[in-house]
Amino acid sequence: MSKIVIQNLNKLYNANKPNAFYALKHINLSVEEGEIVILKGVSGSGKSTLLSLIGGLSKPSSGEILVNAQNIAKLPDIMSSAFRHTEIGFIFQSFNLLEGLSVYQNILAPLALTKLGKEAMHEKVSRAMQLVNIEHKKDQNVGSLSGGERQRCAIARAVVMEPEIILADEPTANLDKENALIFIEILKKFKALHKTVVIATHDTLFGGLDCIDRCVLMRDGELLQ
Amino acid sequence: MFRKNFVEYAILLLIKDRNDHLFSFLIFSFIVFILSSVLFISDSLQYDLIQSINAQPSIVVENTRAGRVYQMHEGYVYDISKITGVSSVEGVVDGYHYFAQKRLWFHIIGDASLAKDEMVIGQGVQKAMAELYYEDEFHFLTEERLIKVKINKVSPKGANILSNDAIFLSPNTARAVLGMEMDEYSKLYVSVPNPNEVGNVALKIVEIYPSAKATTQEDAIGAVRHVYYYKGGIFMILYVIALVSFFILLKNQISLVYGEKKKEIAILRSLGFCIKDIIALKFIQNTVVSVSAYLLGVALAYVYVFVFNAPYLRNIFLGNELEDSISLTPVVDLNLLFLIFLFGVIPFLAFVILPAWKIAISDMSEAVKS
Repeated sequence: MSKIVIQNLNKLYNANKPNAFYALKHINLSVEEGEIVILKGVSGSGKSTLLSLIGGLSKPSSGEILVNAQNIAKLPDIMSSAFRHTEIGFIFQSFNLLEGLSVYQNILAPLALTKLGKEAMHEKVSRAMQLVNIEHKKDQNVGSLSGGERQRCAIARAVVMEPEIILADEPTANLDKENALIFIEILKKFKALHKTVVIATHDTLFGGLDCIDRCVLMRDGELLQ
Repeated sequence: MFRKNFVEYAILLLIKDRNDHLFSFLIFSFIVFILSSVLFISDSLQYDLIQSINAQPSIVVENTRAGRVYQMHEGYVYDISKITGVSSVEGVVDGYHYFAQKRLWFHIIGDASLAKDEMVIGQGVQKAMAELYYEDEFHFLTEERLIKVKINKVSPKGANILSNDAIFLSPNTARAVLGMEMDEYSKLYVSVPNPNEVGNVALKIVEIYPSAKATTQEDAIGAVRHVYYYKGGIFMILYVIALVSFFILLKNQISLVYGEKKKEIAILRSLGFCIKDIIALKFIQNTVVSVSAYLLGVALAYVYVFVFNAPYLRNIFLGNELEDSISLTPVVDLNLLFLIFLFGVIPFLAFVILPAWKIAISDMSEAVKS
């Protein structure tokens, strides 16, 4: 069963202006449930734009994005935010942690929108920290973490709501080899948990991995395969 | 209304950014402190003066000559007491004595209950006299002679704003100090039992004595209110200070949602916070900051004015060295405090919430990438 279906998707920036350009052109793609898909391509090929559209962070100019058979492109803000909150876990290249807070407090952020009790929240955060092996740093300020630890904290925050879809934008771009391999291990755990994962990357490390189901090449806003 | 977890997280983020909010907090507290202090002082002075006026009779009559207050003889008392509606007319001896050694003016008031050689003085007068070692007795130096009077009693501190610079003497001693004849009065207190007739009686007095000035209680209260009117001179200066501070505050408020904070909004949006949640988050944080700053400002103003007696600011309002020893009566006008709250807190919130809303509705994809 297709988890994500994208039909004839276009994203035009600066519409009606002389510098208008298409970041995405006629994208058609479907991602099955539990599948791990790599979006490959050079910078500016439209990978990140596609991820932000799938995650409901921005709206397409035309076309449809069906997630669980629901067209998220047409959802009003309150519903697309709720969808993002429960269904999507974002992992960013720059980690996007809330500086000044501890690891635990960062992972807690999505749970602020729930009505869960203290214990239930603590359990969820602990489970997410266990998954990425960052429990020992839980009280440490994220500003004092290494790049790999920051990435793991960001991943824990992305999965704390137990979303079915994980979207990762250049997750290894700011990591050294050792930490990139740790990310691959976490990716395998996602596979075991039957998560649907879409990764935008140009890192060759992902080539030939067993856990990767498919690689899709993008260029100039178009899907090539 | 707000979920508990959400409020707790908003407070957590507020504590994280406490240094950014500290400036707004301090400036807003300062503004509220200035405005509340001014209002507390003016309300307190108005209250005391109006209380004094309320204790006076319906009409106060003064005679004028060449534009200056001039004495009235017994004939005035007789003529005015014959006007219909007047129940009694009391002649009062009242004037000012210049204390040259201290370059001060003492307010001389005739009091029939006092003996010829004794007097009751206000706190400010006692202080001024004591500085020149007049502790038991004071010597009034007039054109004709030196009048020695014993200090019988000192009015209790804060008894009345008007009694602070006052010296109460027997009417005849007061006349001697003021250089008046024995059958002369400086003021007449006219009692009119029916309040509806006060205006007419005042007009009749002026008809009989065109050079006289008949001031009703209502006119006197109006004059006091005019002196401490909130749109007046010193008030305006203080309001301008508050206004300038307020613009500095608002500029700081706007900066709280740009730069790094813009990215923070984008991160929260990526985690599932909707536009309404972002606005609610900023609302909670800034309500905590503004309400606590407001309460601190009002509390500090109360302590400053009514406990410490408003040093520095009091002198601006009273402008008389003798009035230094006045205790301000605690009077709090809740309506005006509510107005300060309304015109302070609402712009404070608006200048964060509107930019936050503008950022929250924009495309977040670029902000989370940077």
